[in-house]
Amino acid sequence: MGTPQCITHEHQVLIIGAGGAGLRAAIEAASTGINVGVVCKSLLGKAHTVMAEGGMAASMGNVDDRDNWRVHFADTMRGGQYLNNWRMAEIHARQAGDRVRELEAWGAIFDRTRDGKILQRNFGGHKYPRLAHVGDRTGLEMIRTLQDHGIHQGIEFYMEFTVLEILMDGDRVAGAVGYDREKGRFHIWKAPAIVLATGGIGRAFKITSNSWEYTGDGHALAYRAGAELKDMEFVQFHPTGMVWPPSVRGILVTEGVRGEGGVLRNSQGRRFMFDDIPDLYKNQTASDPEEGWRYVIGDKDAQRPPELLTRDHVARCIVREIREGRGSPHGGVYLDIAWIKEKMRNSEAHIRKKLPSMYHQFKQLAGVDITKDAMEVGPTTHYAMGGVNVDGQTQMSTVKGLFACGEVAAGLHGANRLGGNSLSDLVVFGKLAGEHAVEWAKSHPNPTIDSSQVQSICRAALEPLERSGGESPYEVQARLQDMMQDKVGIVRKESEMAEAIEGIASLRRKAASASVPGNIEYNPGWHTAVDLHNLLVVSEAVARCALDRKESRGAHFRDDYPAKDEAHASHNTIVYRGADGAMVVERREIPAMPKELSDIIKEMG
Amino acid sequence: MSSKNDAKGKAANTRTVRFNIKRCDGPGQPSRWERFDVPVQSSSAGSGSANVISCLQWIAANPVTIEGRKTTPVSFDCGCLEEVCGACTMVINGQVRQSCSCLMDSCAPNDGDEVTLEPMSKFPVNRDLFVDRSRLFNDLERIRGWVPIDGTYDLGAGPRETPEQQQQRYKLSECMSCGCCLEACPQYTLEPDEKEWDHAFVGAAVISQTRYFNMHATGKELAKQRLDVMSGPGGVSDCGNAQNCVKVCPKEIPLTESIGSVGRQTTIHKIREFFMGR
Repeated sequence: MGTPQCITHEHQVLIIGAGGAGLRAAIEAASTGINVGVVCKSLLGKAHTVMAEGGMAASMGNVDDRDNWRVHFADTMRGGQYLNNWRMAEIHARQAGDRVRELEAWGAIFDRTRDGKILQRNFGGHKYPRLAHVGDRTGLEMIRTLQDHGIHQGIEFYMEFTVLEILMDGDRVAGAVGYDREKGRFHIWKAPAIVLATGGIGRAFKITSNSWEYTGDGHALAYRAGAELKDMEFVQFHPTGMVWPPSVRGILVTEGVRGEGGVLRNSQGRRFMFDDIPDLYKNQTASDPEEGWRYVIGDKDAQRPPELLTRDHVARCIVREIREGRGSPHGGVYLDIAWIKEKMRNSEAHIRKKLPSMYHQFKQLAGVDITKDAMEVGPTTHYAMGGVNVDGQTQMSTVKGLFACGEVAAGLHGANRLGGNSLSDLVVFGKLAGEHAVEWAKSHPNPTIDSSQVQSICRAALEPLERSGGESPYEVQARLQDMMQDKVGIVRKESEMAEAIEGIASLRRKAASASVPGNIEYNPGWHTAVDLHNLLVVSEAVARCALDRKESRGAHFRDDYPAKDEAHASHNTIVYRGADGAMVVERREIPAMPKELSDIIKEMG
Repeated sequence: MSSKNDAKGKAANTRTVRFNIKRCDGPGQPSRWERFDVPVQSSSAGSGSANVISCLQWIAANPVTIEGRKTTPVSFDCGCLEEVCGACTMVINGQVRQSCSCLMDSCAPNDGDEVTLEPMSKFPVNRDLFVDRSRLFNDLERIRGWVPIDGTYDLGAGPRETPEQQQQRYKLSECMSCGCCLEACPQYTLEPDEKEWDHAFVGAAVISQTRYFNMHATGKELAKQRLDVMSGPGGVSDCGNAQNCVKVCPKEIPLTESIGSVGRQTTIHKIREFFMGR
């Protein structure tokens, strides 16, 4: 094989990812007149952000004027069990409102209050109604607005491209190398500043609400470039996702179904949630199905049905039923709202009115009429709180010139994320990352590209196409996803995670000898082989961090350490690539909060 | 489990559906047809039915034609898989639509039914069912589909807008640039040559976005420039009034209303220009 040819592009700031965070960073950078390039794996406007429904949290106080940034800050820290980067939580709470108003000025249509202001809705963990929203398609509106706004700013978009590696010039970034998915040609982007905005890692698990693009690319690119990852053990699972047909597996089924009286049953027809009610919640939970129903229809004296216990608990109960062989045919349990016909006349019309989008979703995507039949549901991987360790102010990682924002960055959400805080995260920190990337690029121009580094990256990428008889990358990927789901999923324990770490090592060897038939032009098998390297890095990071945190906190649950432990209350878990190439895990104390912030926590609890 | 399946009395609960797929190896390459037999599980209570995407995923894992020849997996684009992003739009049994929401129970309910998949014909094919929609973005730029704000002044608390006004614009903002309306339009034609894009008909989606931005408090600032484009070559007057667009829009956006509205706006714009100059 000869030397692969590369097409070279030059930008001052290169952004990887075109979801909410990437587009906001690009708009910010381009507004300074600087030359910006955006590389994305899919088409513009199709990034995962479009799937967000609930809304974006900002303490504008339009519905309840007691709300302000201090309350939002305290809520975010409490939700994150105080493992958050407090500076990011502060900046986010202070600036989210401005970012919402800015989106509106750029053309986003938010739902209104009667007197014409932006309407805000209640959401779990937020003390006051705080989520600015656009029906139940807030993410689509955000992407559309940012795309429309960015389209005329002279930003160069590279759609359907995959980035293989970050290029280094000594200890700072020099650019990136990747390929276009259509032709398979290699490209070099020379840039002194790079912003990672690649989203999450959901595809490391078998069942996820995340789109196919979420293979932890940014995490792995940063890690291989020498940056630190933080808090990777914290992965949020939603208890109810669709499980069948395969194309919809993982798609969210809103908590609203249970709020309206939906009950969970196993294959024997038993309402298993009544079998495991934590002591702490005993007196807040209905003692029988009758009381649970009275709660649903608004009886103030009744306690809530056990289906409405915290998300992580419900997810664990569902896992137990499935593991013990009482699951549904496609590996879930039954969520039944149709049963309320026993309790009310015209229940069908009632369900359609209260849950229009869920009715539509099941009807449209799976042909199930939820007013007549039960749904099959199971827990789904939803969000990664962990990610690239960044400076709270500048969003720069521990590698010079490498920035990260949005889901790929860690810090804002700590051990668990509140609903609504991710859309605001994207625009608040997208803007900051864009701003500081420009500053860095201006003061550190003209990095040098090392062409031998480029050549070895391209050659390595082509290897799967030149081999034959190796394992199929699809096969390796499927096994990795199964293993992560089973052993590093919702319920974790030492022995299983240790097995997973060994398993990952063996899959890595298989991935290294994987082979793909066909050529470089739009070859999905080859793309899978490339993504697989990234999935392996993030999977190992999740498993190692989870093994190290010997307690249960936030989204991280250990069967062998089911309680919180003070010893783990004030450190983050950091991983980075050691000198010998192996992954190093390190606990790092969280710096003390300045008094003005700790006073807020004291005041609000 | 359900009585429906018992009635059918088929133990395996599966039927075979034949997929006829129009394939193409790359831009400018000739196309060919390949056929695949896909086992489809009959839906049972609560479990849901397969859809076109899940069948394409099955084919990707088992890329063998009915002649028993091993071939490459069929390429297609997709994103959200819940009819929000529009990426998986293709022509299914002659109808343009999103494949993620096309249920096998509705398009091929019986054993032996056939399903024909083709890429949209109004965009250049990248590969198989995967098309290049760059022209759509070019046209949004052509009509200045944005709100002109340079960030140099304080936005303040933002404007007041009633829920009713919001609802009107809301419907138009639901467009996900999927391309269905363009595929169905007899006036919108395939234009592989980029140089022609600025003269060719923009189609319903882009006309509707023109209306949408002209309704926005600040977006209005560029209304004249938008209407200049709309009254020029490829503008609203190229619409042949076939009204196919509104029938195929998956979001039921009132596209013909938008075309009517932008038509009126351009007429007034031209009259004003005639009497008062630019």
